[in-house]
Amino acid sequence: MSSAQNMTLNLKIWRQNNNSSEGKLVDYRVENVSPDMSFLEMIDVLNNQLVRKGEDPVAFDHDCREGICGMCSMMINGKAHGGYKNTTTCQVHMRLYKDGDTIVIEPFRAAAFPVVKDLAVDRSAIDKVMAAGGYISANTGNAPDANSILIPKPVAEEAMDAAACIGCGACVASCPNGSGMLFMGAKVSQLALLPQGSVESPKRALNMVYTHDNLGFGNCTTHAECEATCPKGISIEHIARMNREYLKAAFTYHEKKRSEGAG
Amino acid sequence: MSFNLDSKIPSGPLAEKWDKHKFESKRVNPANKRKYTVIVVGTGLAGGSAAATLAELGYNVLSFCIQDSPRRAHSIAAQGGINAAKNYPNDGDSIRNLFYDTIKGGDYRAREANVYRLAQVSNNIIDQMVSQGVPFAREYGGYLDNRSFGGAQVSRTFYARGQTGQQLLLGAYSGMMKMVAKGKIKQFSRREMMDLVVINGKARGIIVRNLITGELERYAADAVLLCTGGYGNVFYLSTNAQASNASASWRCYKRGAGFANPCFTQIHPTCIPVHGDYQSKLTLMSESLRNDGRVWVPKKKNDERRPEDIPEDERDYYLERIYPSFGNLAPRDVSSRQAKFRCDEGHGVGSTKQAVYLDFRDAIKRDGQETIAGRYGNLFEMYERITGENPYKTPMMIYPAVHYTMGGLWVDYNLQSTIPGLHVLGEANFSDHGANRLGASALMQGLADGYFVIPYTLSNYLASSPLEKVTVEDNAFKDAEQAVKLQTSKLLGIKGKIPVSEFHRKLGHYMWDYVGMGRNEAGLKKAIDGIRKLREEFWHDVNVPGETGNFNIELHKATRVADFLELGELMALDALERNESCGGHFREEYQTQDNEAKRDDEQYAHAAVWEYTGQNSSPIRHKEELVFENVKLATRSYK
Amino acid sequence: MMTSAVNHYFRSSIGRKHLVAITGLLLCGFLLGHLTGNLLLIAGPDAFNLYAHKLMSLGPVLYLIEAALTAVFVIHLGLAIKLNLENKKAKGKYQMKKCTGRGTTFMSATMPYTGIVLLIFIILHLMNLKFGTNYPTTVDGVEMRDLYRTTMEYFQNPVNVLWYVFSMICAGLHTAHGFASAFQSLGANHPKYYPKIKLISYLYAIVIGGGFSFLSVWAYMKGV
Repeated sequence: MSSAQNMTLNLKIWRQNNNSSEGKLVDYRVENVSPDMSFLEMIDVLNNQLVRKGEDPVAFDHDCREGICGMCSMMINGKAHGGYKNTTTCQVHMRLYKDGDTIVIEPFRAAAFPVVKDLAVDRSAIDKVMAAGGYISANTGNAPDANSILIPKPVAEEAMDAAACIGCGACVASCPNGSGMLFMGAKVSQLALLPQGSVESPKRALNMVYTHDNLGFGNCTTHAECEATCPKGISIEHIARMNREYLKAAFTYHEKKRSEGAG
Repeated sequence: MSFNLDSKIPSGPLAEKWDKHKFESKRVNPANKRKYTVIVVGTGLAGGSAAATLAELGYNVLSFCIQDSPRRAHSIAAQGGINAAKNYPNDGDSIRNLFYDTIKGGDYRAREANVYRLAQVSNNIIDQMVSQGVPFAREYGGYLDNRSFGGAQVSRTFYARGQTGQQLLLGAYSGMMKMVAKGKIKQFSRREMMDLVVINGKARGIIVRNLITGELERYAADAVLLCTGGYGNVFYLSTNAQASNASASWRCYKRGAGFANPCFTQIHPTCIPVHGDYQSKLTLMSESLRNDGRVWVPKKKNDERRPEDIPEDERDYYLERIYPSFGNLAPRDVSSRQAKFRCDEGHGVGSTKQAVYLDFRDAIKRDGQETIAGRYGNLFEMYERITGENPYKTPMMIYPAVHYTMGGLWVDYNLQSTIPGLHVLGEANFSDHGANRLGASALMQGLADGYFVIPYTLSNYLASSPLEKVTVEDNAFKDAEQAVKLQTSKLLGIKGKIPVSEFHRKLGHYMWDYVGMGRNEAGLKKAIDGIRKLREEFWHDVNVPGETGNFNIELHKATRVADFLELGELMALDALERNESCGGHFREEYQTQDNEAKRDDEQYAHAAVWEYTGQNSSPIRHKEELVFENVKLATRSYK
Repeated sequence: MMTSAVNHYFRSSIGRKHLVAITGLLLCGFLLGHLTGNLLLIAGPDAFNLYAHKLMSLGPVLYLIEAALTAVFVIHLGLAIKLNLENKKAKGKYQMKKCTGRGTTFMSATMPYTGIVLLIFIILHLMNLKFGTNYPTTVDGVEMRDLYRTTMEYFQNPVNVLWYVFSMICAGLHTAHGFASAFQSLGANHPKYYPKIKLISYLYAIVIGGGFSFLSVWAYMKGV
């Protein structure tokens, strides 16, 4: 661990009381920031300062602090999670900054993610898209022996690449269009790749895209900024696979209404 | 008042108990299931799988989570894997073998019947999760791959890279979301359970705080399932998530649920060491790393050389030396303790001297860097991101950290607490891991409870107890809500000088120093005394700014820390009363000549179950005697 | 919703993206054909005028093709504008200023602007050339329009040349992103092929942007 000098940082943090109030950037100064600190620990230090002064601490989302829960968000200097490769905000460490730096910290920005308070946003739209089809309808107890479904290793690995999504919403926040195609594409693609999941693939693609569009997410124009920002490095290939699944489904999926009949 | 600690273990041979019990349990017919409402608090593996499964069966489920989405529960952070007795590698595994390893790993402080059932359903879990699209690692032939974990001599751990917990949780979450879409689960995010509502002796509802608006909300149901995880954060620094807390369990304890074995905490041997006062959490490096990494310290005390410069014969590969048959894969409690011993003796490394090396040099030499990167690439990256050092070149520095709590609310074989209708699942209960949990068993237990145990035992409860109708207008709800309001306004009214986290940090020091890896009578007494004083100070001098009516993060922390300050004392008390060493509970007074835990099966082959008796009186310690009919109590040896 | 899946397709984000992609690729094809034809300028007035005459004498077929091309263009333009407005709304008040440098490119970020330039260009282009001065000429005894002269005269004005080159650079930028992006939108992104598609996309952009620009400069230099 490095033992470089501690730093003083100037922060400009977005303060907004709730979704209906206006927000603005407020200046703060934090001293004695160790380069070994994580970004969130630096904000902890600031919050302790604020509490000691009797001021309202900065609200922000965070939980596991090891880059897997997807709770932490923040635009750091205009970039989701700070824009570092394969890194969530909680894994950003202060050794990436220099003494005297000014850092602008804002909440994730997208119409589909309204601000809750300060840096915390409401990402329930992600859950709604998942509820529209991001699952395999395998009720508990239905399952055959696990090894009865063979999956080629490269396919399993590719599905895992997509499944690595932590649902943080950085793709939406970093997309100049506020589109949710990457997190949705990752799920559609993961399940389409797997034999268990391909059974419901058409219906899934149709329902999820429909829901996504109605929740105020934008459209994909292939900037690939999502791919660059994604803390799990998920590729836009998965968006392409979703586009294929959707195309297929839109023109071929057919489900006739039938009565189930009396038993 | 006295507890009824009837474990309700079915009679008959061990292997037939669960089948027999399922057959004898009462069932609720499909048309009647929709008349019942079940509250599930927590959406981790236990809560998520229980909510999904109960909703599939037809119950109306109300699901609550503290995060902004059920997908973020801390089960997500489990890295290494999940055990099952599939015996796919043909290395001699069986249900009985998994059962035996788990009982032994728990140092003979768990119930045989529970653990056997866990081993039985372990295979169904893998089947279920594969069906739900969990991309477990596979061989080239398309079959599932396995790896080894501590405390076992077979490969029975299924894994999805270093993100097994995440993949399983997202599987359970997807099942939940499916039922949310069908309207069978009503999901409430950013809610924290503040109290349990007990009516006529039965759990009938909860009070939650809406963390965004600050409002208190009441929910009534026919049964309450507590799936709120463990209480490792009482140590301030742990591998738990920031929001992981003990309040839900603690409030239930205060409402009459017995708290079992609170002192049984697991210290995980492979975490990134502490490096500063500001630190907010400790990051785990998966136990799977010990498959290929070798743990060592310099033979010379206070050796200041770089690890690469220390020649082979000056290194002490102490786990391989002391435990030749398990080597680096010795169980967690044993490995942690040995690391502590080495550092206490002055062999520790790094700037704080509180670390040991985990070295991949030989594995890289043997298998090539690419292979090692394939296995642990993401973990190596994470290590480098946090420490700024490259583990392909320099050995990792690791040190034990609090990771899991085996103790928890007492439950019977049906997962029901001492309060009828309050069922406790997953890490929040005490049931299956005894005094030490083996790696890759937490995921197994959470899912076993949620998918395959509670659906049967809950229907038995609902079908066999008359449940009168209750509404949230009932006085019990009003009273419970009033009590929470009172506590809140008290906290906000103190207007002291010290932030909540300072108290938490101080509590953590007491816990780690005296109720951590090594405990002794004097230390425990000191801890109890210190925590009491700290608690008093807290209620006089804490500063919780702001008000109730909005998203008040300091208030959320304050209520949790207030409970930790009480739980910490109970943990120390429990440790003090258990005059033996077993598993994660190591009393320095009770050890063998070569520093191994020395159990006292005569006196302590029981679960200690604590009963709350009021704010100003001491809790009562009850016992549930553990009966071992199928395994012989032996000194645990991994040599 | 299921029964109207096709219906919904044309209103969904992905469905409309598919249409933008398909129409974009058709326009790319047209551009390539147009460039090939225009290269006949170098072969001299007769060759070029004969080619133009042949096209114009297609009669009703030409009108059909022109109508289809107009439709393709209008769909491309209309949907692109609509999607863009929706995207602005989806981003809220906050517009992205900073990117990681690993995703958004200058080409992708300027798509709406290069698109607008191209729209203006096309209108002027049609006015100045297709509906420009109609000089009569005779090739091999056949009377026809001297489009060669109209074109060459147009490019004698350096302002016209500059505007033309600028527009063609925009066309290059627009297609450099658009061509590959169309494949992605249509779901043709495979790790084995996509890098090649991207390469083709850049080559295509250079050929189109460079080719047309070269012709305009060549015409200016050559003089009438």
